[in-house]
Amino acid sequence: MNNLLSSDQRDALQELMNIAMGQAANAMAQLIEVRIILSIPKITAVTPEQLSGVLAEPAVWLTRQSFSGALRGEVLSLQVKAGVEAIAGYLDFGLPLTDKSTEAAVLEVANVLAAACLQGFTSQLELPTRLAAPELYRPKASTVDAAWAITLLMEVEFTLTDTPFDARVVICLDPESVQHLISRLNTMLED
Amino acid sequence: MFAGLTQILLEQLPLGICVVDRQFKIEVWNYFFADRTAKPAAEVIGQDLLQLFPNQAALLRKKINAVFLLQNASFSSWEHQPHPFEFSSSRPITGEETLMFQDLQFLPVEHDGVIVSVCLVLQDVTALASYIQAERSLKAELEAEHSALTVLNQKLEAAQNQLLQSEKMAAIGQLAAGVAHEINNPIGFISSNLQSLQDYSNKLLQLTDFYEKVVQKIASDKLYQVQRQKWQQLQYEFIKADLPELLNETCEGVERVAAIVRNLKSFSHVDDSEWQYANLITGLENTIKIANNQLKYKVQLHRDFPGNLPEVYCQPMQLNQVFLNLLVNAAQAIEEQGDVYLSATADDNELRLAFRDTGCGIAPENLKRLFEPFFTTKPVGSGTGLGLSLSWSIVQKHHGRIEVSSTVGVGTTFTVILPVRTTTEPAV
Repeated sequence: MNNLLSSDQRDALQELMNIAMGQAANAMAQLIEVRIILSIPKITAVTPEQLSGVLAEPAVWLTRQSFSGALRGEVLSLQVKAGVEAIAGYLDFGLPLTDKSTEAAVLEVANVLAAACLQGFTSQLELPTRLAAPELYRPKASTVDAAWAITLLMEVEFTLTDTPFDARVVICLDPESVQHLISRLNTMLED
Repeated sequence: MFAGLTQILLEQLPLGICVVDRQFKIEVWNYFFADRTAKPAAEVIGQDLLQLFPNQAALLRKKINAVFLLQNASFSSWEHQPHPFEFSSSRPITGEETLMFQDLQFLPVEHDGVIVSVCLVLQDVTALASYIQAERSLKAELEAEHSALTVLNQKLEAAQNQLLQSEKMAAIGQLAAGVAHEINNPIGFISSNLQSLQDYSNKLLQLTDFYEKVVQKIASDKLYQVQRQKWQQLQYEFIKADLPELLNETCEGVERVAAIVRNLKSFSHVDDSEWQYANLITGLENTIKIANNQLKYKVQLHRDFPGNLPEVYCQPMQLNQVFLNLLVNAAQAIEEQGDVYLSATADDNELRLAFRDTGCGIAPENLKRLFEPFFTTKPVGSGTGLGLSLSWSIVQKHHGRIEVSSTVGVGTTFTVILPVRTTTEPAV
């Protein structure tokens, strides 16, 4: 965990994330009436270069969506292009998708996944946040030109059995929020 | 006070605001919605939003359910859903669009930590959408124009190169004419003097032979010894053998210089032979006979000439010169054994004569310099570098062109293309 979190803090956060993702899976199952499989959340500390490495995936749709409130940051999603149709059908999109409806579906999926992940996570921490509208992200440079040096990144992978659908959601906190999160974790550990 | 302010803001903001509960029953309906739907709040409060807008019911249900389930906002953007509600444009007079472009946000409304309602916020983004759409079509237009310009630029560059080539050829032509004229006179007397010299030296050698015999006849050993000594001293035996050879080589050299000068002269003014209608195949066959001693040992000739080729208005002798150059080049490109395929085709406008060889081919970097005067890749002494530039100039005067395609190691095809009906005067 590099040096952002102690091992106690890390364990606590991992536990919180596991619970949060269980809730996210439930919420999504109700919304789209299909069982989505979630990976165990991965928590890492990254530099801007490492984040660029995470995002530099060929053949994926990339979205970004900022959130604010008690915690601030961005939720990024990487959706394998070939898998979008597989989930769009469950979201009432007419198939086959056109260029426009593909974009709409990607954003819809991004919002659903981001909302589910973030809601579970922030409600466990009791740090309410609000999501802004998602947008397609087409990074201009090969590295993220960032004002921060290191941040916390929580990554979850979503798949749909027997379909090519495969999406990764990456929650990135801004450095100030990382400190906020750490003090929150400390309070919870003391209780 | 604050309750009143909230009410005023709700009615005054340029946003459509509508709050529905879990059963889609309308709880709040602001002026914006009332105005655009012509349904006052009093009429719609308590009604089912989905029944009020049956066409949008699917979208609204999905988005509102998502808010309750995910406890977070959901969104609809004009880029993907331009007109969720069929409201007419906010610019009915000057706007080009007929329907209002809308961004929708579905926000959770919490009470004691539980989401009880969803607030639908509609933003009229017609101006922004029109602007972005205009921007996009402008961009597409610009891109189209840009690519058209790029093509034009390439054409211009090609034309400029051609012009440059023509000017270079013309300049070299003038230079060549001047040089040819200057060299022609001295070469003339050098050549005739050389012939006299050859004649005289033969006679001198005969004379020394005669003297030798005279000395032998006298049968004076002493005299004979003196003569032998002198011969050895002056290396007469060697001179006697070398002199005719030297003179022969010199004559050949002068003949070669004279040939170059003749080429230069033809290059600078290709105008001396007569214009007439002629069958090019007859000319080509005659030329093949002339070039035969260069061709016969290593080249297998293949001919494909249809019988009904039109006659071409031309200077036949000049074109034969072109054919000769191309045939000799083809032969020289073939190292040991190879084939040369001659073919002719014609339509109403053009006659095409192709010379295809199975020789060594031409390197791409040499292709564009091929018709430059004095450009040659042949070993010193085998080519002047004038053959193709002369041919180019002759064909150009016939309003025609020469095309080349070549692959190194496979062979080269030169195609002479001449117009069948030349109604104008020859090109200058």
